[in-house]
Amino acid sequence: MTIRGGPPRLVLLALPALASLLLGCGVRSTSPAAGTFTPRTKGVLTVAMSGFPTQGFWEGSSPAHPTGGLEYELARDLASRFGLGTVRVVVKHFHQIVAGDLGGADLALDLITPTSQRAQHLAFSAPYLVAAPTIVVRSGISVPDLRTAQSLRWGATRATLFIDDIRQRIDPNAPARIYDQETEMMTALDRGQINAVLLDLPLAVATARQSGGRLQVAAQLPVTESIAAALPPDSSNLQGVSSAIRAFLANGTINRLLERWVGSSAADAETAIPLLNTTR
Amino acid sequence: MTLDLASITVKTPSGTAWEFLVLFLVVILGPPLVRSARGPGIIGLILGGFVIGSHGLNLIGSGNTTIPELGQLGLLYLMFVAGVELDLALVRVHRRAVISFGAIAFALPMLFGVLIGEAMSWGLPAALLLGALLSSHTLLLYPGVRQAGLSTDVGVATAVGATVLTDTAALIVLAGVSGSQLAGGSPGSIAVQIVVGLTVLAVFSLGVLPRLARVAFRYLGTDRIVRYLLAIASFLAAATLAQSFGIEPIVGAFFAGLALNRLVPNDGPLMERIDFFGSAVFVPVFLVSVGTLLDPGVMVEGETLKLAGLFIAAAVGGKLVACAIAHLTMGYTRPQAWLMLGLTIPQAAATLAATIVGFNIGLFDQSVVNAALVLILVSIIIGTVIAERATRRVPVPTVAAHHLGERILVTVEDPEQAALGFAIGARVAAPDSGVVRGILACSPADAESRASLLAQLSAAGFASGVDTEPRLLVHRALAEGILHTALAERASLVLVGQQSAQAASALGTSAEAVAAATPVPVAILLGDLESIGDVSLIRAADGNGAPSHGALIATELAARIGGSRVHERVADDLRWTEELEAGQLCIAPLASYQLATATEPPPGAAIVLVLDSGAPLAPAGASEVL
Repeated sequence: MTIRGGPPRLVLLALPALASLLLGCGVRSTSPAAGTFTPRTKGVLTVAMSGFPTQGFWEGSSPAHPTGGLEYELARDLASRFGLGTVRVVVKHFHQIVAGDLGGADLALDLITPTSQRAQHLAFSAPYLVAAPTIVVRSGISVPDLRTAQSLRWGATRATLFIDDIRQRIDPNAPARIYDQETEMMTALDRGQINAVLLDLPLAVATARQSGGRLQVAAQLPVTESIAAALPPDSSNLQGVSSAIRAFLANGTINRLLERWVGSSAADAETAIPLLNTTR
Repeated sequence: MTLDLASITVKTPSGTAWEFLVLFLVVILGPPLVRSARGPGIIGLILGGFVIGSHGLNLIGSGNTTIPELGQLGLLYLMFVAGVELDLALVRVHRRAVISFGAIAFALPMLFGVLIGEAMSWGLPAALLLGALLSSHTLLLYPGVRQAGLSTDVGVATAVGATVLTDTAALIVLAGVSGSQLAGGSPGSIAVQIVVGLTVLAVFSLGVLPRLARVAFRYLGTDRIVRYLLAIASFLAAATLAQSFGIEPIVGAFFAGLALNRLVPNDGPLMERIDFFGSAVFVPVFLVSVGTLLDPGVMVEGETLKLAGLFIAAAVGGKLVACAIAHLTMGYTRPQAWLMLGLTIPQAAATLAATIVGFNIGLFDQSVVNAALVLILVSIIIGTVIAERATRRVPVPTVAAHHLGERILVTVEDPEQAALGFAIGARVAAPDSGVVRGILACSPADAESRASLLAQLSAAGFASGVDTEPRLLVHRALAEGILHTALAERASLVLVGQQSAQAASALGTSAEAVAAATPVPVAILLGDLESIGDVSLIRAADGNGAPSHGALIATELAARIGGSRVHERVADDLRWTEELEAGQLCIAPLASYQLATATEPPPGAAIVLVLDSGAPLAPAGASEVL
C-alpha cells in the first residue's frame, strides 16, 4: 500500500474509521476506570446540606421536597451518573458538617471550601466551583474602600472561613456578629441589625438577584476559594465523585447549572464586581 | 529615634510569588537530582511535583488554580513541540516501511489496551482511551542514538518516522473519545460533529496554517520575538479551533506543530527558542502539575499496581510484537529490531496528554493516573536499557548519509546576491526540513563596515521564508574560511555567491578550493535574479561512464528548485551560456575552473555551477546524499 502525502491524508483516511468507533462509544458513560460509587442506602444518594432553602442552590418548600437549585441539581446529576434513582436531603448545621457529622449522608454539598483543618474530618472531592468571598450589603450602602468596609457592622455564620476573612482582611472596627444559621444572618442583614456579610460569589449574586432589590453585591475580596463536595474521610466513593465532578466541569454541566440557577450574569460577575483593595 | 523590633512581623510565605518560587526550585533541582542517580530528568519533575503538591509537603495546595492552568498551557506547548520536532522527511523517504511499522506499532498496543479495558468492564470510551495512551511513544532516547551515529540507520529512521503515525493516530482516537464524552446529542450527531471538527482542523492546520505562517513570517517575522510569538499564536489558534468543535485543544496544538514542521527546522534559531522556553518554563510546569496528582497512598494500592502491571505488559508487549513482526517480515536485523523496540517503548508526551485528558473529563480516576505514571517511569527505564545495549550492536552506517537540504550554507560577499542564495537554499532545504545559514564574507579591513549589512542579509532571508540569523565571516583566505565554517556547521551543501565569473583567480575559485578539500557538495552562484521562474538543467552528452557526483547533485538541485518547470538541455560546450536570457536560472555541473571563468550570465539571469567534490567519498555516498 502506498499512501502519498503522508500524515494529512492519513488523517482524512482515519476519519471514517473514527466515526464508526464513535458510534460505538455512546455518550457520557461512566466507567469503573473513573472510580465507583456505593451508596449507604441502596438506590439512594443521600446529601447533607445546611440552611434549607438556600437561594439558587437548594430551592423548594422543604428538604423533603426540593425543587431545584445548583447543588440540588448537581446531586441529581451525580445520582443519575451512579445509577441511583433518588436524592434524599439531610439538613445539618454548617459547623456540624465541617466537623465531619454528615448525618449518615453519602456526601455534603453545601458551598464548603476545603481546608487542611476540615480535611482532618472530611475527604474533599475535586472542586466544582471557584469563587471569591463577596460582600453583600443592603441597597444604598456602597463599599468603595477598606476604610468604609471597616466602619460597617459585619455578620458571619459560625464555622465558616468568612469569619477569618473578615477578621484578617477587613479588620472591622467592631467584631463581627456570629450566627448559627445563614438564614438568621441574612434576616439580620435585611433588618439592618448588621450592614454587611460575606458570601461565596455565586451565592452572593443569587441572593442579591432574588432579594427584590433590597440587597446588592458591593465588592469581592481579592482571593479565590474552591468549593468541593465533602465525603466521610474513609469513603471509597471519593474517586467516583471527583471524576463525576471533573466530567461535569468539562462537559459544561456545572456552567449550565450556574447560569440556570444563579443567573446568566454569574458567569460575568467575576469581572463585573469590583475588587476591594484590602492592602493596608 | 528608637527602633521597635517587636513591631516587625514576618508572615508565612504565601501568594503567587511564593508558589512560583517553589515551582521553579523544583524545575531547577528536580532533574539534576534524578539524573545524578542515572534517572531521566522528566521523573525529577514529576517527583518534584509530588513533593510540593497536596499529597507531599502541601506547598501548592489542592485549591491552587495557577499551577494547573499554567500546566494546561504547558501541555499544549508540549504537544506543539512534539508535532514540530517530528521528522516528516523520514516519512517521505521511508514511506512504505514507516507506514507498515507505524501501523502495527500503533495497532497492537491499542488492541491490547482495548482488550484490557473491556476485560475490566471499563466500557468502550475508557478502553479506547487506554489503548490510545498505550499506543503512542515518545522519542526520549533518540538524541543518544543520534549521538552514536545511528540516525541514518534504516531501522532507526523507520522507528522515528513511525512516531508521526502512532502519535497522530493516538491523538485522533483521543479527540474522538473526549468529544463523545463532552458533546451533547445522539451518538450519530456526536460522531458527525467530531468528524467534521477533525476535518476542519486538518484543513486549517495542514492547509491554511502553513500558508498563513509563511506569509506572516515573511512580512512580520524579521523580529525574532515576533517569529516566536507567531509560532505560539499558531498553536493557540489551532487549539482554540479544536476546542470550538468540542475536540481536545491538545489535538489542535499537535496538528499546528505538524503544520509548522517544515517552516521551523529542528536546527534553526526559531526551534532553538521554542525549545528554550519549552524546556525552561512551559513543559516543566506541566510535568510538575502532573506530579501534584501523584498520590503514594493511591500508588501502592493493589488496584493501582495491578493496573500499572497490565499497562506495562500491554505497552511493552505491543511494541515487542510489532518489532518482532518488523524483524521477521520487513528485513530488519535482530539488533535493529531491538533498537527500534528501545526507541518505541518509552512513553511520555502523548501518554501523559491522553492520561490527563482522561482524568480531566472524568473518564479516569487517580488510580489510572498513578498507574500511567508508573508505566511512564518503567517504560523509560526498560527503553533505556534496551536501547543502550542495542546501540552497541547496530553497526554505524559507513557513510553519514546527509540529506542534501539538511544544512545549507549560503556564503556571499555581495549582500545583493543573498536574496537569490536564500531563495535557492529555501527550496533545496524544504524537502529535508533543513536549515539555511547565511554567511557574509569579508576581509579583516572591511569587517566593521560590513557588519552593518547583516541586517540586509537577514531581511533577504526572511523574505524567502528562511529562518536564519546571518553571521559575518572575517577571513584572510576565503576558501579556508568557508571550509572551516562548513565543517563547523556540518553543512550538507555549500552555496558560494560569486560576484562575477571574472572574480575567479587564475588558480580557480574559492568554491573550487572548498570542493577540493571536502566531500560536501559545493555550488557556485553567479549573477542575480528577481525571482526564480524557469530552471534549466545542463547535462553533458551521454558518455560511457556513470554520471559524475556533480552531475547527480545538479540534477537533484534542479528538481528541488524548479520542480516541474525544469528544462533539460544536453550540451558539451559553453554555447548555452550565450543563449541564457534574463529571468532564467541555469544549473550545470562544473568540471573545471576554466568553465567558471567563462560562464558569465547576462544581467538578470543566474547560473548555479555544481562542483565535483575532490575529497574522498565512498562509492555509495553520491546516491545517499540524494
